Amino acid sequence: MANFSIVGQRLPMVDGPDKVTGRGLYTDDLALPGMLVGKILHSPHAHACIRRIDTSRAEALPGVKAVVTGRDFPNRYGILPIGHDETAFAVDKVRYIGDNVAGVAAVSEEGARQALELIEVDYERLPAYFDPEETMKAESNWIHDEKPHNIEKEYHHQFGNVEQGLAEADLVVSERFACSEVTHAALEPHSTLAHYDPATDRLTVWSSTQVPYYLHLTLANVLGMPKEKIRVIKPLIGGGFGGKSEVIPVEVEAAVLSRQAALPVKITYTREEVFYAHRGRPIQIIELTIGAKRDGRLTGVKARIVQDGGAYCGYGPVTLLYSGALLGAMYDIQNVQFDGYRVLTNKPACGAMRGHGTVNTRFAFESLLDRVACELGIDPAEIRLRNQLQPPCITVNQLRVTSYGYPECIRQVVEKSGWGEKRGKLPYGKGVGIAGSHYVSGAANSIIRSEMPHSTVNLRVEDDATVTLLTGASEIGQGSDTIQLQLVAEELGVRPDRIKLVAADTERTPIDLGSYSSRVTFMAGNACLAAARNLRKQLFEAVARVWGVSADQLEARDDRVCAQNGSGKVMSFEQAVAAARQQFGTLEATGSYAPPAEARGGKFKGAGVGPSPAYSYSAQVAEVSVDTETGQVSVERITVAHDCGRAINPMTVEGQVEGSVWMGLGQAVQEEMIWNQGRLMNPSLLEYKSASTLESPEIVPILVESVDPEGPLGAKEAGEGSLAAAIPAVANAIYDAVGVRITSTPISAEKILKALRERQKPQARGNGGRR
Amino acid sequence: MTAEPITLRVNGQHFEVTVPPNRLLLDVLREDLRLTGSKRGCDDSSCGCCTVLADGVPMLSCVMLAASYQDAEIATIEGVAENGRLHPLQEGFCVEGGAQCGFCTPGIILVAKALLERNPNPTRQEIAEALSGNLCRCTGYTQIYASVEHAIRKLQEAPVGSGKA
Amino acid sequence: MSLPPFMLLRPRRLDEAVVRLADYGPEAMIVAGGTDVVPNLRAGLFSPRALVDIKGIGELGGIRFDPRSGLELGALTTLTAIAESSVVQEHYRVLAEAAGTVASPVLRNMGTLGGNLCLETRCLWYNQSTVWRKACGFCLKKDGTVCHVAPGGERCWAVWSGDTAAALMTLDAEIEIASPRGRRRMPLTEFYKNDGMDRIRLGRDEILSGVRVPARLAGYRGSYQKLRIRSAIDYPLAGVAVAMQLENGICRDVRLGLTAVNPAPLLVREVGELLRGQRFSPEAVEAAAHAVIRTGKPLKTSVSTPEYRRDMLRVFARRALTRLWSSNGGH
Repeated sequence: MANFSIVGQRLPMVDGPDKVTGRGLYTDDLALPGMLVGKILHSPHAHACIRRIDTSRAEALPGVKAVVTGRDFPNRYGILPIGHDETAFAVDKVRYIGDNVAGVAAVSEEGARQALELIEVDYERLPAYFDPEETMKAESNWIHDEKPHNIEKEYHHQFGNVEQGLAEADLVVSERFACSEVTHAALEPHSTLAHYDPATDRLTVWSSTQVPYYLHLTLANVLGMPKEKIRVIKPLIGGGFGGKSEVIPVEVEAAVLSRQAALPVKITYTREEVFYAHRGRPIQIIELTIGAKRDGRLTGVKARIVQDGGAYCGYGPVTLLYSGALLGAMYDIQNVQFDGYRVLTNKPACGAMRGHGTVNTRFAFESLLDRVACELGIDPAEIRLRNQLQPPCITVNQLRVTSYGYPECIRQVVEKSGWGEKRGKLPYGKGVGIAGSHYVSGAANSIIRSEMPHSTVNLRVEDDATVTLLTGASEIGQGSDTIQLQLVAEELGVRPDRIKLVAADTERTPIDLGSYSSRVTFMAGNACLAAARNLRKQLFEAVARVWGVSADQLEARDDRVCAQNGSGKVMSFEQAVAAARQQFGTLEATGSYAPPAEARGGKFKGAGVGPSPAYSYSAQVAEVSVDTETGQVSVERITVAHDCGRAINPMTVEGQVEGSVWMGLGQAVQEEMIWNQGRLMNPSLLEYKSASTLESPEIVPILVESVDPEGPLGAKEAGEGSLAAAIPAVANAIYDAVGVRITSTPISAEKILKALRERQKPQARGNGGRR
Repeated sequence: MTAEPITLRVNGQHFEVTVPPNRLLLDVLREDLRLTGSKRGCDDSSCGCCTVLADGVPMLSCVMLAASYQDAEIATIEGVAENGRLHPLQEGFCVEGGAQCGFCTPGIILVAKALLERNPNPTRQEIAEALSGNLCRCTGYTQIYASVEHAIRKLQEAPVGSGKA
Repeated sequence: MSLPPFMLLRPRRLDEAVVRLADYGPEAMIVAGGTDVVPNLRAGLFSPRALVDIKGIGELGGIRFDPRSGLELGALTTLTAIAESSVVQEHYRVLAEAAGTVASPVLRNMGTLGGNLCLETRCLWYNQSTVWRKACGFCLKKDGTVCHVAPGGERCWAVWSGDTAAALMTLDAEIEIASPRGRRRMPLTEFYKNDGMDRIRLGRDEILSGVRVPARLAGYRGSYQKLRIRSAIDYPLAGVAVAMQLENGICRDVRLGLTAVNPAPLLVREVGELLRGQRFSPEAVEAAAHAVIRTGKPLKTSVSTPEYRRDMLRVFARRALTRLWSSNGGH
């Protein structure tokens, strides 16, 4: 066990005091003199051509300073280089109810609202597509002309030989799974404050973003301004979960309105608008087949996946590829086939949401694996152990696995949950279920392919011996600022409060790709370590010279530098800094991280998504009770073990793991976007059922530290990997409790009740279930 | 509809503002008084982010017409720390992880404060019930309970206002 | 999102308030806790010229119980105060349970009994923003001509979604209504019109000022069962209230009320006829539950399906009756 002094501590989050006192500023808390209110006109139609827009009456309204439509800023953008299909406002065509038609900036909110009402738009309605399987049959009126049959992207992967694998199996099971659409529902509605200053021709944007870097690039593109004229600052963020991990219309719209008005403009979404901006987890239909030998060894897995991506590309192809890449890769399965379709429909765009792409396939896979185990008479925990990987290894789809705490996770949850005493032995109506999941610690290949480091961190020692940590990484509530600070403090051997953090400001901080794909601890963390080691080297050189010893005999710890040569020499950090200043003048260092070439995966089409320098693993046991008269399921406890490599801060890791499990439970039993002909029926926090305290169960977190060889001090991701397993764990527990398998999410009371009644019908067969 | 001068008492301080009668307390706090600790998370009074105390009782400032609460003593998150010293609840939310993104935190701290004033030693179930109108999207609530329980312990050791350090 | 413009009147006396209401006629609206009115104002559902805030009227508060005359509740009594009142808990259990399930603690701190009894009806096609409603051509209840729930019909099926009304109906509650002409009383059961568009019999210059529950129902066993997806915050998707008097295991008196499935809360009178004088039997309970689902007529107005809500009415009726009748519970 390594002997750390700051890493491994439950250090309170560095921004905690600002958050608990109300002092901390989120984007909507900011105000500038002369600031205008921006409002957006949304499409009332799911699919329509814009024949004509007349904004003259809106422009004439007193107090209105800018009105912008699609033709004013027609440059296309999108998070993926292959998916630039969005514009600031719709040009010629709207593609979903809520699509962006025009923007207004006015001196008051009321004035802006009135101006919207004065904009006249002539639409010519087009046939619209709402069903993911029907939309693929479309022969005309495609949502994007360049995407025939409304198929955004399709991939067909075959690793090994699935037909042969299934032929060799003793048991082959297939099932069709359907998952409803869910959304991030971060409590902070998206907000952007943009300030274009005509005197300097500079634009400053404060925005609720997880990706200041990509926002910076996109604004330059859409506004046709050079990057150096634009500054993006990320204030405090009230939750992201992926919903702020690509450029959201409000960000571009505030900027173009400010550019037009030459005044500061703030737009904060209403909650309804947040649902239109969306980018959440898509509706997904998964046809899954698994083959197994009698001893439980899996011989093949085959999945056909259709994802309903909504009207724009967004992260779509990435979501789809994650579904395939991580389908079988946490187990040793030599034959894997994946056929995936990302289709377009006339609904808000889907995108990245916590557990990006992996969640629904995991639900399907782990549910079906439970059935395989039950039909073969093997303990579901045991069947997972029998198919474990033997790391270090490379999976059949070219993913490199360097550390693998999954078996240990399973053993821990089995022990701590009382699995052996409970499974199949609880009274009717109560049950336990187990499932696993895994996730990337950042994508090994960046969205825009280049050799640029994914994270860079600069350190500067100030005159007062405080250390300024400059990082582009985006704290969004997950604690990444604190983790970076702990890593630097550990490596420099200084008190954490000696470090001041400056983050996520494109004018002041080095490039970091952002907070998505659970990349920050691993990548910015490694950059922090590299920078701190470079800085320490300078300190040690200077101290070694003062003492006349060799630099490799020095150690930094507890705010001091000590000689490890028996001389007992000690110098305070301040003294060491003074010595280094004498020698080097300024004291600065930089460090960066790029994933190694070996971690970047295969060469086939679509191989870029899935590879990561390291993978986290999670195993969970859910305990549920089912009310057999109402169908209501109550999740009583989740025991979760997460392999985070190394817990830099166990408190924040537990917080991430608990939050992930909880969000998975929401999708498992109660969250769902409800559609009616492309119209979202529940665009509100009242009707989108994010769980209250009362139906949120006890979550018992266990941290497994597999110490990844390349992770920062061994760390891997913690913020997403435990989400997916929660859903199948609950589904499997429901089966243990009442003997029915629900193959769609959410697993609502109504579905359970219906399944129980089906089973009671005389002709229905009791398929291995209890009672 | 004309703006009229109203007087509000917030965190023990008098404020005079001139606002139209349709102005919500939340907007007055955030925009006129620049007390932005109270947050807007929804538009249908379902999330609890804007919770303030009115005469010690947790209420949603997004439902309260400012002009209607001129007689009440309003407390917001900005008034919870005394003399720059964090309240044990605020400390709890820092050291036990109850504040992740922090957006629900002001409302939750105020509800918890009102709870502890009525019931200094609530069970976890009682804490859950008291907080059931305040959504959190980050924590799954477990570390929120731990944060409140930290405050319960601290307050039992040294009640606020007892003069003990 | 800001609210539409209005004048705000803050009378301190009831007689002053009703005169103000009379002055503005149909252009005035009453607001107390604001938990129903304010979100609806924000959604553009109402555009009153004057909002009469009655919170400052001292005479509308308070809970009074007298063993001879029964319970009197002022209209401004908060739902928290009712749920936590030891008198209500002891003597009128079903009301305490119903009040304690409304929305969430913070909303119960604001929401008043009067407001809960006068709630606007709810529907997924109605409780949406102006922009949302405009995009689907509005609806029969507000600014439109079509009911999206029952297209082709002339009737609005928006659902009465309060909790306390059903409970109070099972307690034979009367409401008191004040107007410039004085005060009148009305059985609560007659207050509701069962019309989603025009829900209550309250004149434009009238204020529901209080509720009286007779002394003879004090001590009735009571249970309120509520369907919702989330255990807090949500409006009910279905609710069943039961008050019952037992003597040596024989049902001397029983009333069962329904809410959140029709445009009004309703008393299922048949239940009393079926069960009075009976000893507990599963068959009797089943017969009563059957009567309940003949009265409850949920439609596609909420995020849950009509079929499921109707199923739950039956389950809840069965559960409430069984719980109160076959054991010592519920008291």
